[in-house]
Amino acid sequence: MTLPRFDKTILLCLLTALLTLFFSKKLLANPIISGISANEIEIDTSFKGAKILLFGAKGYVGNVVVAVRGPKKDFIITKKDRIFGVWYNGKRVNLRDSYSYYSLFSTFSDQKLPEQLLSDLELGKDNLSFNFYGDIENKNDSEDFKLYFIDKLEQEKLYSTNVKKVSFLNETLFKVMLEFPKTISRGTYSVDIYLIDDGSLISYQSIPIYVKQTGISAKIFDFAHKESFLYAVLSISIALFVGWFTNFCFCRFFGQ
Amino acid sequence: MQIYLPVAEIPINIIVILIFGLMTGFIAGMFGIGGGFLATPLLIFVGIPPAIAVATSTNQIIASSTSGLLVHLRKGNVDIKMGLVLVCGGFVGSFFGMFIFKALQKTGQIDIAVSIIYVVFLGAIGINMMISSIKELLQKKYGITWEKKKDSRITKFIARAKKWPLQVNFPCSKIKVSIFVPLILSMLIGVLVSLMGIGGGFLMIPAMISILKMRPQVVIGTSLFQIIFIAANATFLQALSNNLDIVLAIFMIFTSAIGSQIGTKTSYKIDSESLRSFLALLILAVCTKMLISLFSKPESLYAIEFIK
Repeated sequence: MTLPRFDKTILLCLLTALLTLFFSKKLLANPIISGISANEIEIDTSFKGAKILLFGAKGYVGNVVVAVRGPKKDFIITKKDRIFGVWYNGKRVNLRDSYSYYSLFSTFSDQKLPEQLLSDLELGKDNLSFNFYGDIENKNDSEDFKLYFIDKLEQEKLYSTNVKKVSFLNETLFKVMLEFPKTISRGTYSVDIYLIDDGSLISYQSIPIYVKQTGISAKIFDFAHKESFLYAVLSISIALFVGWFTNFCFCRFFGQ
Repeated sequence: MQIYLPVAEIPINIIVILIFGLMTGFIAGMFGIGGGFLATPLLIFVGIPPAIAVATSTNQIIASSTSGLLVHLRKGNVDIKMGLVLVCGGFVGSFFGMFIFKALQKTGQIDIAVSIIYVVFLGAIGINMMISSIKELLQKKYGITWEKKKDSRITKFIARAKKWPLQVNFPCSKIKVSIFVPLILSMLIGVLVSLMGIGGGFLMIPAMISILKMRPQVVIGTSLFQIIFIAANATFLQALSNNLDIVLAIFMIFTSAIGSQIGTKTSYKIDSESLRSFLALLILAVCTKMLISLFSKPESLYAIEFIK
């Protein structure tokens, strides 16, 4: 059964409300509870990005912070330099194990941020740590590379470090719309929900989202990687056949 | 219309790819070149990762060259004997070229090196072709003749090569030449081919005309013949290193094979001098574009490369 999104939202909220009622005892011990509308994102040939709704309930105290982190990847960043008017690749830096996706939501108003805790939990632009290797001479270098990296991925909508607001339906029920662009990498994403009060972490929950290729797209990917010899032979044969076939058709229908 | 590419792992507008395929195919068929020097930059331009772009355009070159070759074969304008000699030299050369490529890749300067090689060779060949085809056109139309320099380096080289061992007859091309001349020539081009990620047609054709002195009618067909082998070899190696996206390739293949047919037909309607000056113009345009990009300030000083 497919419901329009609006109805879905209401349904999810009702569900959360019911959960809150039934599990109120549990909620006292574990004062945040949440769920997502889908655990999987399937990338097929017509993939255009995905939206997942996160909903939840919390007690009356504390602020909610939600961080979505994509699978860790390695990157190479190069900085262009100029010699005799020609631009060439100057500094070259390896960036290991960095999140390929990162987005942040919170209920904090700007003034009362518990800096220490946020930094411990790697929450926020200033608190993301990067492992740079290569042509790094000083702190400025790594800072430049870091800023560029975040900036670039923000442009591609893979990062959003400008904290977005969590919207509340009433005092305890909240929802967040998580958006994934069409360029996301495959792998396991984690949605981490933190409840922070008075500078300390009260509760924490982590929900995984699996992003994978499906259908013909996944089959081709597997074939290319597992049977690369056959894949190579097949690609060449297709090219030769198509070359011959178009020639054949042209001769048939258009003459010499 | 968007389609998700399974190996490149990005979505792409398929209409754009179809148009590119047609364009490069047309040019490939028209001038008897693979069209790689055009297809690769175009694919990179629309956001395909460079490694995937190079691999996919080599695969597409096979299709467009096969399609074009068959037209020339039917007209008997392919020197298969010469083609096979060129293939042998080309394989050896591209093997050496690959070592140089890997070494440059390690230093991180491969894209700059490739651009400079492109500018130097496209520039030299483009200008040379331009001058000679203008001369020929003027000669034809107005009867202006130029005194031919008798002691140019090429003629000296050819004179010396006449004394080399293993003189072989190539009846189809109507030349008799030492087998080492085409072998060395194709080896040198082979090195450049693997450095530039192309079939090398635009280098091979002028060499066939001015150094081997082959009959002009067989030049294009023979060039296409050897390109198929070179491109198949390159595609094979690229597919083994998981750079080839078959979905992208298939779309390019179909349209470029069609484009190639139209191009080949068109080439028979245009006289060879104008054809050569068109090719010279095209080569010079790509060369200028690369030269400008070498000297102009990049949009962003940084670049991110994603490692699988």
